[in-house]
Amino acid sequence: MQQLTPRPRRGFLPIRTNAFDRGFIGVVLLVAIHLFWLRFLEAYLPLWCATVLSLVIGVIVVRKG
Amino acid sequence: MKGRGGKLILFLGWCVISLFTLFPIYWMFLISTKTRVELFSMPSFLPGKFHWDNYINVLTDSAFQGYMLNSVIVATSNALLVTVLALLATYALSRFKLAGKDNIFFWLITNRMAPAAVFLLPLFLLFTKVFVLGGISLFDTRTGLILLYCVFNLPFAIWLLQGIMDGIPVELDEAAMIDGASTFQVLTKIILPLAKPGLAVTAILTWVFAWNEYLFAATLTSVEARTITTGLAEFVTVTGTNWGELAAVAMLTLLPAVLFLGLVQRNIVAGLTFGAVKE
Amino acid sequence: MRSSTIGWLFLAPTLLILLVFGMLPFVYVLVIGFTDWNAFAAVATPHFNGVENYRRLVFDDQVLTALWLTLRFTIFAVVSELILGYFLAQLFMRDFPLKGLFRTLHTLPLMVAPIAVGATWRLLTVPGLGPLSYYLERWAGIEYRLNTYASQAFFTTVLMDLWHWTPLVTLTLLAGLSALPKDPFEQAQIDGANRFQIFWHITLPMLRPVILTTVFIRAMDALRTVDEVWMLTGGGPGAATRYIGLHIWRVVFPKTDYGYGAAMSLLTLYLTIVLCWLLYVALVARKRSGEDSR
Repeated sequence: MQQLTPRPRRGFLPIRTNAFDRGFIGVVLLVAIHLFWLRFLEAYLPLWCATVLSLVIGVIVVRKG
Repeated sequence: MKGRGGKLILFLGWCVISLFTLFPIYWMFLISTKTRVELFSMPSFLPGKFHWDNYINVLTDSAFQGYMLNSVIVATSNALLVTVLALLATYALSRFKLAGKDNIFFWLITNRMAPAAVFLLPLFLLFTKVFVLGGISLFDTRTGLILLYCVFNLPFAIWLLQGIMDGIPVELDEAAMIDGASTFQVLTKIILPLAKPGLAVTAILTWVFAWNEYLFAATLTSVEARTITTGLAEFVTVTGTNWGELAAVAMLTLLPAVLFLGLVQRNIVAGLTFGAVKE
Repeated sequence: MRSSTIGWLFLAPTLLILLVFGMLPFVYVLVIGFTDWNAFAAVATPHFNGVENYRRLVFDDQVLTALWLTLRFTIFAVVSELILGYFLAQLFMRDFPLKGLFRTLHTLPLMVAPIAVGATWRLLTVPGLGPLSYYLERWAGIEYRLNTYASQAFFTTVLMDLWHWTPLVTLTLLAGLSALPKDPFEQAQIDGANRFQIFWHITLPMLRPVILTTVFIRAMDALRTVDEVWMLTGGGPGAATRYIGLHIWRVVFPKTDYGYGAAMSLLTLYLTIVLCWLLYVALVARKRSGEDSR
């Protein structure tokens, strides 16, 4: 659980973040991806794809960001 | 730009700039003192004969008297409530060891940042449908507005008083404690006198913010608890043509701002920027 | 330290009020944003309908236009206020007679109720009554009609915002300028730097935190402008100045489409928070990268 300590650190994101910041970024991306999907991609792929995608991205951001 | 000439040019420059600042208000004052017939002749920037009819009409109108009364009651009660609560809260935050108090302070402050329009709908629904006790709802009551205005005024007051409270030496109340004073006595006998100027500024500014508020008042009241700002807005939609009276009401609305300006102008910038900018 | 129970007791009323009137509405809007609730519908109680409101929202041209207009208004207003405010702050840095009085006068618009600001500007611009419309037509031959020409209405709202809020920018920048150390400027003058070089390489970088803070605060306020614009243009002509707050207030309420209105409110809040956060990151990123390099 080394990554989840609240101490700020440097990951692939351009700024130093702590666990809370990365969680926040994950949620912001989740909402953004869903809204984008509803507008442009839902005609081709169902919405749960967006959920899976944003959850994967969320996990990556929280663990590696 | 040194020397006398430079100073004179700057002085004259500021006269022109202040003219731009004051002109809209001056113009409104002129309109409020004109009769209907005079209004639509060529605009004249000089005061003609003063007619106070617009003010008399407005001030003797019973609906408008109700609006003014509501505004005075709401703003005054809110300012008193906010000042007392903020005094207690900042005393607690500054003198007691409370778990997570930095987070609490931060959370209190963020309440102010929320855009009002976003919360209109949930507040309207809460006021009309949820906060109902035995057939009486908070909708269209002065109490509702007084409590609601705390949401934006309390964070501001707490921020303003926090600095003042931290500036009062803890040794003073500790000495009083050793002499056997209770917490309440410390608060009234030691903190209150020292924080008085700060409390006055807080009360004045919260009063003005509550007086100026429009959006919540317009949405969450209908007849009984309408305030002066909603009265002003009604002029445009209902009797859009009576510009003289509209100007008179607007003058009355901005009167407190002008009256209190000198007292609080040093604090208003720090207040509006949440201390991010100190003067 | 004393018993913390009393401390919590003192804090309790404040926390209670902010929880009930600050947090509860947020939670409430979050819930009804995912429901179908229309007071005039056959079933007038909220029931869960998933992301249906948001599906409607992303295709609602009126909302997207309102959001775009709000952003445009904010950018125009904040940028012009910064430029004008910086210029005025520099003027305040010098010495001249009656400086205190001018400063106080300059603060006046900040205290005026936004709704009264709107009324003031309406009186300046009403055709046949206001001097602005009269003289623009007479001297410049411009037909000035706020209820006809969209771009005139838009720029008048920007101008009104400029009148109302430039003083705040002036005074924050003035505070920033007064706090700057003198040495770098003297050194630069000795080195023969010209005015623009001094501004670009010394003043601007040192003033950066104050500028960003000012932009942050002003942007937050400009994004939620409602009262003044409602009073000046009523959102018109058409929907040319119907900024998002005004849109939520004027369009959603009369239709009593609560679920959809809640979704719209949430989207606005989301965008505000994201924008706010980006500005905040820009504000602290410099500081933090400075710590890194040490």
